Amino acid sequence: MSILYNTEATLAERVDECLSDDFKHNAIKTAQEVFYKKRGELVEEMGEGWQQLRMHAMEVRNHVTENLDYYVKQFAQNAEKNGCIMHYAPTGDDALWEVLDIFEQHNACYAVKSKSMMTEEVGLNEILEEAGIKITETDCAENILQTAESKPSHIVVPALHFNRSAIADIYREKRGYDGTDVPEEITHFLRKILREEFLEAEVGIRGCNFAVAETGSVTLVTNEGNGRMVDTFPKVQIVFVGIDRIVPDLDALDTMMALLPRSAVGAKMTAYFSLDSGPRGAGEVDGPEEVHIVLMDNGRHELANSEFSDMLRCMRCGACLNICPVYRHITGHGYGSIYPGPMGLVLTPGLVGYDDIDNMVYACSLCGACTEHCPVSIPIHDLVRQHRINIVDQGKNHKIEVPIFKALGLFWSNMPIYMAGMTLGAPIMELLAHDGALDADSTWIPVVKNWTSTRDFDILSKSRFRTWFKEHKEEQAKNAEGGEQ
Amino acid sequence: MALGNKTLDDLINPISKQLGNAKVADHVDMPEWEFKAQRVTDGKSHDELVSMFEDEAEKIHISVAHCKAADLAACLAKIVGAGVPETGEPCTVVYAADERFRAAGLADALAAESLVTKATEWDETAGEACIEAARVATYGITYATAGIAETATIAQPTCPTCGRAISLLPLCHIAVVDAAAIVPTMGEVMADLAKEEKLPSQVCFISGPSATADIELVRVEGVHGPMYVNYVIVE
Ligand code: SF4
Repeated sequence: MSILYNTEATLAERVDECLSDDFKHNAIKTAQEVFYKKRGELVEEMGEGWQQLRMHAMEVRNHVTENLDYYVKQFAQNAEKNGCIMHYAPTGDDALWEVLDIFEQHNACYAVKSKSMMTEEVGLNEILEEAGIKITETDCAENILQTAESKPSHIVVPALHFNRSAIADIYREKRGYDGTDVPEEITHFLRKILREEFLEAEVGIRGCNFAVAETGSVTLVTNEGNGRMVDTFPKVQIVFVGIDRIVPDLDALDTMMALLPRSAVGAKMTAYFSLDSGPRGAGEVDGPEEVHIVLMDNGRHELANSEFSDMLRCMRCGACLNICPVYRHITGHGYGSIYPGPMGLVLTPGLVGYDDIDNMVYACSLCGACTEHCPVSIPIHDLVRQHRINIVDQGKNHKIEVPIFKALGLFWSNMPIYMAGMTLGAPIMELLAHDGALDADSTWIPVVKNWTSTRDFDILSKSRFRTWFKEHKEEQAKNAEGGEQ
Repeated sequence: MALGNKTLDDLINPISKQLGNAKVADHVDMPEWEFKAQRVTDGKSHDELVSMFEDEAEKIHISVAHCKAADLAACLAKIVGAGVPETGEPCTVVYAADERFRAAGLADALAAESLVTKATEWDETAGEACIEAARVATYGITYATAGIAETATIAQPTCPTCGRAISLLPLCHIAVVDAAAIVPTMGEVMADLAKEEKLPSQVCFISGPSATADIELVRVEGVHGPMYVNYVIVE
């Protein structure tokens, strides 16, 4: 399972590491601002239509989820009718097995790949490399990550954590690049070296943004054109399709495509969007001769008909990441999952369970900005909260929480103890305070230091609000009486 | 359970079980949708749609030219006759084996351009040679089946006379589209496709030059596909 990574570090350690990398979180912040602004302009231009589109997309996706077995079957049968070779993968390991089998059948040892989260999810690259198969990532950012042996920090622009000179250096060292640090020059170098690889590769591997049940078609959205290269030149093509990618028909596809690029990058449409229905036809010179579709579940069906079924609507646009205040600071690397940000907080435990995720689901302030921006109206922050509830219900929370909350419960529900605590609190805090607040000097006190190491903590007031309010009311009444005289 | 070789039932049964279905339904009716989205193109006249198509094209760095059907060859020859963009060096061209290009006399018009050193018509019998021609070509010319006003997108199906490589490998892609084929949104194109018995192996929706912002969010045009895109709208 490769959904989680960097699991040796705790959430706190990963977060610390990301917070200390100013370039990284500033890069994410800039990306958030750019995408947010562009998206906002487009949404505004659509007026009321935007909300209607969202609602329509929601009803369509819900309909598919409610009849998921039917639509999975319909898609599979129609894709087969189009001439695709179907492979069914209830688990990620089944998918890997099928892919290795295809390579073996063709005696192939060289593949190009266009970005696909599903292949990351199953750890495809590692397995293929182990089997002696060369696999090249062809999306610019993914190629940078592969060459640098790094992980994505954003799902749409995954290599933002490297600056231009770091990227130029990576290619100087590994691919003999001898140009400047200018992004344009580096990109054109990539165009040159990757083009050779596209034309030579035996197998093309790609993902699928939406699969159309009625026509058995798969689709791919890219800006760079690497997806098109992958599905034009290699003779054998492998398409990874998640069972949660299905839309019923072409009309629904149009609705999704009106939402996806706008939500993802603030563009009305991406440079390329291809609708693929089977291998090349008679008389066609390019396009794959053989199309293999790996239709994969890998834990998704358990989300259907559960408290997390809303998540099956997700189109992986990244809009929730682009608005999230936590993501802005801890970046994609803080979460330790290939699915980061708000969507990742819901999806990751949904797919891998609660045992190995550290306290990831607490990396959320429950502000709800994600929910408001989600193009398919997933109540993301409610689902994050639901994970927390489940973790506590299943006794998988930190063992110390139970006695702490018991003690706090006792404190708050017992009037004499509460009153004593409140009365004693103020003078004790005063002893430790400077200028009416606990500041960084109080970091020797456990628990308190988590707050005071970065900000001040005002001391308790000596009088209680209720006492003040009572006096205030009395005073008002007195003044009113005075007024009548 | 052993790995691999799973059947469709192996995949579907757990889903049915999760949904509480004893078996997969034979048929599911599409519900009456409650919401129907209005689009920015609603209520626009055809002329307005054409100008929206042009405006949107400009925003995403596509050059637009107009011509009458009779002047199509001349219009295309003029664009490629300028040679390689920016440098003005001699160039080569690959174009779809489309009846409309033949009728317009495109081959002769291209041959008359001094800066065009070679023009290749896509030929399904030539196999890999076509792809090689596209790989080295400066210009690839295709005839799109539709233009989408909302997003300045063209729809380009793959067929024996028009391979995928023509709009992908050359430095510049020129897409010809009939003004009459400009529709409001992708929805209309999808509705037309839905009527087809069998869909083409690929319908590619193209909106502008290939681009990336992967390095420090700086937009760079010309990544794996064309660096320049031109539309020629035929009245
Ligand atoms: S949860 Fe919503 S906003 Fe987030 S990636 Fe999925 S569809 Fe986009």
